[in-house]
Amino acid sequence: MNSSNGNGSMSTASSSGAWNGRDQFPAGLRVLVVDDDQTCLMVFEKMLKTCLYQVTKCNKAETALSVLREHKNEFDIVISDVHMPDMDGFELLKHINSEMDLPVILISADARKQVVMKGVTYGACDYLIKPVRIETLKNIWQHVVRKKARNTF
Amino acid sequence: MERNPMRRQLAIMRQSLFDQGHVDEQFVQLEELQDDANPNFVEEVVTLYYRDSARIILNIEQALERKPFDFRKLDAYMHQFKGSSSSIGAKKVKAESTLFREYCKSGNGEGCMRSFQQLKKEYATLRKKLGAYFQLARQAGPVETASRPK
Repeated sequence: MNSSNGNGSMSTASSSGAWNGRDQFPAGLRVLVVDDDQTCLMVFEKMLKTCLYQVTKCNKAETALSVLREHKNEFDIVISDVHMPDMDGFELLKHINSEMDLPVILISADARKQVVMKGVTYGACDYLIKPVRIETLKNIWQHVVRKKARNTF
Repeated sequence: MERNPMRRQLAIMRQSLFDQGHVDEQFVQLEELQDDANPNFVEEVVTLYYRDSARIILNIEQALERKPFDFRKLDAYMHQFKGSSSSIGAKKVKAESTLFREYCKSGNGEGCMRSFQQLKKEYATLRKKLGAYFQLARQAGPVETASRPK
């Protein structure tokens, strides 16, 4: 697992995640991306960095979960592949939903309706089909804002 | 219009990759991610893809040697391979992966084997073509910007 910062100027993310002081938003959005496929992970990382997000990548769901538990409040959103050996995206999603308040986006090359349905009913805030375009990633900040708004009002 | 002959040849090669259906829109996405900080990004991703996917190809090969076929396992491997291939825009390879998965779902062993042979051919062809393309790209050097005097 490695951690990397996005390019460009951006304000340091505050641990509380308040948006008021973050005028560079969504630059600096703290993303955790999980995929067992190294090629996909490499492409995601580059895309997310191009969006000026702060990217941390994991190739295992268990690792991702430990990272999230150890670094609570240091991430804004999780993007996870569905089909992974050992723990899959659905299980990771279940853990995250029960333990913390983070939006989770599921991604998969699997476009079958029943799988997408499963993702949505398990509480994924979005389900993207691979290959994901950078334009889509540019909009993921909306999920973060939406969740916060729901929690506030 | 490219004045540099190498760059012209490179452009022609690139166009043929698309025209012949070897790569799709995702390849353009990768090209757009390339910048001064990562001038060889596309080549690096493709290199990683071929290194990483070799393992999946081997797994499938071995699984096809065990009778009766474990279609679920074969499908799982191919799903993985398809995801990886789609991330580099490998159009023909991806299409063949889809076909293979259809055969898995219908329990068609013959179909799987045929499809896999075809997939390996496309996979190898793409590797050769992209290899030649990247080699020429390196020789052609960085793209001249409009501001630079000729």
